[in-house]
Formats: sequence, C-alpha cells, structure tokens
Amino acid sequence: MRRVDTKNTFSKLLSLVIDVAIWFFLIGFAVFVLIPVVFMFTASLMPARDIMSIPYPWIPRTLHIQNFWQAIKGNDGKFLFPRSILNSLIVASLTTLGTVLLSALTAFGLAKYKFRARNVIFLIILSTMMIPFEAIMIPLYLLIVNIGWQDTYTGLIIPLIASAFGIFIMRQFFITFPDELIDSARIDGANEFMIFWKIALPNSKPAIAALSVLTFRAQWDNLIWPLLVVQSPEKKTIPLYISQFASEKYTNEGALMAAAVIASIPMIIIFLSFTKYFITGAELFTGRK
Amino acid sequence: MKGNKKRKLSLEKKIGLWGIIFVMPSIVLFSVFSFYPIAYAFVVSLYKKELLSLEAPKFIGLRNYIRLLQSESFWNSVVATLKFSVGTFIPMVVFSLLLATFILGRKRFQKLFQMMYYSPAIMQSAVAALVWLIIFDPRSIANQFMNFILRTRGVDYKWLVNENMLILSTIIVYFWKYIGYFTVLFLAGLASIPKEINEAARIDGASRFQNFIYITLPLLKPTTTLVSITAMIQCLRTFSTQYLFVQAGASIKPIEVITLNIYNTAIRDRNIGRASAMSVLLFLVIMILTVIQLKISRSEETYY
Repeated sequence: MRRVDTKNTFSKLLSLVIDVAIWFFLIGFAVFVLIPVVFMFTASLMPARDIMSIPYPWIPRTLHIQNFWQAIKGNDGKFLFPRSILNSLIVASLTTLGTVLLSALTAFGLAKYKFRARNVIFLIILSTMMIPFEAIMIPLYLLIVNIGWQDTYTGLIIPLIASAFGIFIMRQFFITFPDELIDSARIDGANEFMIFWKIALPNSKPAIAALSVLTFRAQWDNLIWPLLVVQSPEKKTIPLYISQFASEKYTNEGALMAAAVIASIPMIIIFLSFTKYFITGAELFTGRK
Repeated sequence: MKGNKKRKLSLEKKIGLWGIIFVMPSIVLFSVFSFYPIAYAFVVSLYKKELLSLEAPKFIGLRNYIRLLQSESFWNSVVATLKFSVGTFIPMVVFSLLLATFILGRKRFQKLFQMMYYSPAIMQSAVAALVWLIIFDPRSIANQFMNFILRTRGVDYKWLVNENMLILSTIIVYFWKYIGYFTVLFLAGLASIPKEINEAARIDGASRFQNFIYITLPLLKPTTTLVSITAMIQCLRTFSTQYLFVQAGASIKPIEVITLNIYNTAIRDRNIGRASAMSVLLFLVIMILTVIQLKISRSEETYY
C-alpha cells in the first residue's frame, strides 16, 4: 500500500512540475510575441538617443510626441503619410467590398442554380488557388500598363477582387441555405437578382463578416502589388510609405516607430472589435474540404 | 401559355440561366487577371523581351531557362529561399503545434493566449519588418537581450551584417508574425478530435505524454501535413520582409529570395523573359504543393 502511495505522490508531483513548465513556456512565448509590440509603442514616445541607450528604458521618461508629428509631416513636410493612410483605407475597403459581393454572387449561382458545366466552372475557379500571385505579378503588371490602369485605384483594386477562396467559403455557406426561402420569394414574384440581393445576402452575415475581415487584412498588408502599380507619391499605400520612410537616412528611430504605431491603429481597432472573425477566418481554412 | 410540362421545363432552364449570369463576372475576371497572366508568363518565358521596349520580342525557345539554370544569381535565390523556408516552417510547425496543445488544456486563458499569439499577424508586414529592423540595430534590444542571456558584455551579434545572422533575422520576423496564425490552425485541428478518444486512453492509464505521442499526434497527422504545406507555400512566397530589409540597407545577397529576384529582374534589370521563366518555375513548385494540400484536405473527411 505504501508503495502505491509514493507512486501516487510522485506522479502528482511530476504532473505539477509539467504543469508549471507548460505555464512558463506559454507565458515566455507570450512575452516574446509581445515585446516587439511594447517596444514599438514605448519607442514611439522616446527621442532617438533614449531608444538606443543601454539598457533600453522600457518606460519613456518624457512623452516625446514630436515623433508623431515628424511621422505625419514626413521628412519633406508634404504630409504624404495621412494621404497614404487614406489610400490604404480606400483600396482595402473597396477591394473587400468587391470581393465579398462578387464571391457571394458567384457562390450563390454555383450553389443554388442548376446549369450545365456548373461543376466544371467550380473546379476551374478552384484551380486558380494554385496560381501564386507572385508568379503572375509581372504579366499582370504589363497588362495593367497596357490598359492604362497604372497608378490608378482601379489598377490597385480590380485585378484582386476575384477570389477563389472567397467563392469557396461563400459556397459552403450557401449550400446549407434553405431552398424554401428562395422558392417562396420566387412565388411572391421576386426576380432572381432580387432574391440574391434581398434574401441571400442579408442572411449570410457571419460568412460575409469572416470573409470581409480576411480580405481587408490581406489587402491592408499588401506591399508587392502597390509597389508595381503605384508611381506618384500621392497614390502610395501605407506599406509603400513605410518602406520609403525607413530607407530615408535622416528619419530618426522614434519617428519610424511613431509611423508604425499610427499604421497599426486601424487594424488593432478592427481586431479588437472582430476577434471572433479573425479566428474563424483561420479556422475556415483548415475546415475546407 | 402552352402545355404545363413544357412551361415548367423552360422555366427551370430560365432559372438555370440566372446561375450562369451570376457566375459570369467571376469567370471574366479570372480569365483576364489569373489565366491570361499565367499563360502569358509561360509564353513570354520563351522570348527575349525587355520591359516597355518597343522592339518586338524575339523567340529564343528554352534559352531563358537554360541561362537561368546556369546563372549564379538564380541559384543564390534558390538557396536563399530554401534556407529561409526550411528555417522558418519547421520551427513554425513545431512551436505552433506545441502552443496549441498546451493552450487547449487551459480552459480560462485559452482565448487570451490565442489573442496574444495572434496579435502580430494583424500588423502590416512592412511595419513588422520595420520594428524588427530597429530591434536588430547594434545598440538596440536584440543585442542587449543576447548579452544578457549569454552573460557577455557589449558584444555586437551583427544581426543585419553577418550573412547567417541576416537570414536568421528575417526568419525571426516571419516566425514572430505568423506563429499565432498557425497556432489557431492547429487548435481547430485539435478541436476536431473527439474528446472520448483521449478520455478512454486516460482511463486506461496513459500519461499525458503518452496520450500526446500515441493518440493526439497520429490523429492530428492530416492537420499537421496540411499546416506544414501551407506554411511551406507561405514561406516560398515571402517578399515584404526581405524587400524592406534591403531597402533599409541590409546586403541583398543572403536574402534575395526568389520573389525579390523576380521583382528585381523584371523591374530593375528590365528582363521580362527571364523574370517570367522564374515565375513559371515558382508556379510549378507551388502548384505541386497545392495539389498535395488539396488532396489531403479532401481525404480528411474519412479519417476516424
């Protein structure tokens, strides 16, 4: 009996040790993940010499808000940063709107209407998932130049709104959409587009929210396409502005971090208000079958 | 109105027609902005073509590919991409799996941890690269941290100067940014394993470790493969971090990944034919990986 007892205490102790170790690992990792974020926020309020002092003073001694002024004004005083924020918001919002509407429309057509070649079309659409954007960016760029869309919002937005992933997600959703709702609307005399617009769309808010958040995040982050399309400083999106600001020799570290903070705020707000959809968005990805 | 049957049939056809109308805009957009460019890349990769030059492109067969395979710059990019991808996706898969498994047990803090780990993913890649650039400055906290851990004093670890350290730096940025995303993917996979299986093993006296090795891991294999391939594809497509590091003055050679090379070859060197040949090769590699990925995610259904 005693032996069993010691074995029990031993395994209890072991389990406690493992538990503590796991906590250490989880918290240690959280610290690793959060340190650059905290660094960004604190450094944005420090003069450059404080940021580069050893050891790093984690709490700003004074609030050096000139950094934010320099970030907004830019090194040349032309206030291109606020403009680039506006550009990013415009491009990301319109791309999201376009992607969501187009994906929903296409998915509704694929899920709820019987026509020849329906499955073939769906497969063709899915096959575009195999084409990485980086492999077609150069021909796409030449195409945009040829049709005169270079340096326009149209050029930034239109090529990106057709999304196989979006169509896939919306189709999954519409497949379970009740046919009775559609039929009763038809009996009431609604035409097919009105059924989509007035019945299907308003009833698919969760799917739309997840897709919107995903698309917005991706476009907000997009560097490579604006890098090719945009030429004039007034059309630059935030990632372009940031990469140029970072390469200008006379920008101080504090101003860089202030620009980073400002660039992050819109997404932080969206993330905190829609956390659920960010997580489901990622989950939808593994759930795809 | 004529016969009832005929009317019904034509009505059905009429409704079906709407489906085609609904699908049409996407088909047009995909044709113009996906299929045409990829076909164009294949064709142009067989020509000698300069960016925006008025000269007619000259057909040179496979010579772009042959030159590419003989060029040092291309192989340098292949090596840079491989070093970055392998160095990123293996730790990413291992750590996200561990984090997901560990979080799953913590009932109350699961959401909090998930949010904390995910938070870097909402930052723009350019911003993430920028913040880490400052952190890797010789006077900044990366060196301070290393000196503290290794009990050295005032050593500069040359994060952005030494070739291998520069590669490591880009890996850290990417790992940091996407670890939370892959943790969420694993959590979704773990949540799909029926709880009864684990409980039954517990009752049979399996320890937590045994449970993880003999039950969770094998059952999680489809998710693990799926996440690994996703991570691999993501890594092969990396661009922003490397681009920003080079913009800010880091040396290009160790981190000129294939996408950066495509961009530079096309825009800086104006060599469209050659950039297209590289694009085609990148496309083929990612296509193969995607096909495997789709196969796995489809077979996931028949898995218990």
